[in-house]
Amino acid sequence: MNQFKYISPKTKDEVLEILKEENIRACLVAGCTNVLPNIRDKKIVSKVLVNISDIEELKGISKEQDKICIGPLTTIAELINSEVILKEGKGLHQAAEQFADPIVRNSATVGGNLVDASPAADMAVPLLALDAILKIESVERKRDVRLKDFFIGPEKTILQEDEMITGIEFESSNINKNGYFIKLGLRKAMAIAVASIAVNLEVRENKIARIRIAMGSVAPTPIRLTVIEEFLKNNEVNDGLIEEAINKVHEEVDPISDIRASEEYRRYVSGILFKRAFEKLTL
Amino acid sequence: MEEHRVELTVNGERISSATKPEESLLKFLRRNDFTEVKCGCEKGECGTCTVIINKKTVKSCIMLALQTNGKEIWTAKGLEKQELGRRLQESFVNTGAIQCGFCTPGMIITAKNYLDQNPLPDKEEIKKAISGNLCRCTGYKKIVDAIYAVAVENQK
Repeated sequence: MNQFKYISPKTKDEVLEILKEENIRACLVAGCTNVLPNIRDKKIVSKVLVNISDIEELKGISKEQDKICIGPLTTIAELINSEVILKEGKGLHQAAEQFADPIVRNSATVGGNLVDASPAADMAVPLLALDAILKIESVERKRDVRLKDFFIGPEKTILQEDEMITGIEFESSNINKNGYFIKLGLRKAMAIAVASIAVNLEVRENKIARIRIAMGSVAPTPIRLTVIEEFLKNNEVNDGLIEEAINKVHEEVDPISDIRASEEYRRYVSGILFKRAFEKLTL
Repeated sequence: MEEHRVELTVNGERISSATKPEESLLKFLRRNDFTEVKCGCEKGECGTCTVIINKKTVKSCIMLALQTNGKEIWTAKGLEKQELGRRLQESFVNTGAIQCGFCTPGMIITAKNYLDQNPLPDKEEIKKAISGNLCRCTGYKKIVDAIYAVAVENQK
């Protein structure tokens, strides 16, 4: 029989105690934007629904010395309204503006999008390019995990059953301030990405000093294109370099065909998205 | 089966009613006779279930009823209690922005909340503001015109 329970803890520590006790029976709910459809589709059954949406200590965006800290309950709308995010993580700001639709953005949270771990996750892609770090806690321990190491498969992460994300951080730096995000969807709103890209770039004396490239919907998880990053580093910015990089993009992505696009199209358009994002950052 | 109580304010009135842990706000509202909140896709895509909670639009089909404990909700029926709500209703009727009417409650709620915070938008901004509300009848033009007409009135 499908039986749910519901509790509404008031503090982070209470949540962690509940996770320790209930383990796989617990399902954290914040914006609930993916949880409820999953309950309706019977993908989530007989869980303890733990409402964390009112826990203030898990909210907020702040700049502390040399890093930006985002609470996991920060909504996508709050990212858009944040001067700090606009200035320090432009790619993330652009992704937030293209996320779902204006109503869903009021409820959906950054933490929720990461934990859901869709290969298309619109928050994961720019945060990967920002080299974000996740603060993860359980009653027993605290650990920092680079977002790069967080996703292990479609809708699968390294998060243990008794753990939750308590913070998302990225550096305040020149490379992070110089970012661009593009989402290719079949419509202008409420679209799951056919392919998406975030590029963060630091150029010195016309050479690529540092670069990070992340893509969504072209692999089992959101990914960093580290082979191309290595290839591009320390090279002079010119057309020949871009054309070579585009070919390498075709090789490094690992897309599938699904109802939104074919594998061939995704592979092809990945190169175009890289070129467009790169040109936005260098012209 | 676990039973819980939700206590909240809907359109200015205190409501207290039983619910289940997994019941959506949409189903809860409709069970309590707020049938102006329409049930469309139940996936958070069509927007016909849109309500306002603490000055933010929310798709009630993807929120748990229990998460609204102690909160203040406005539905399409509450629009007539506020001047901007009445102006939008009139504008939709006068402009001819209603065909089957199914998207209308959610559409006007979204428009009202948007104009409360952005009283002087242009048509492109209005289109983005209603991008979470689907209409299968009108092609959106008259809906945008109806909202824009109210914005133009705001300018005077």
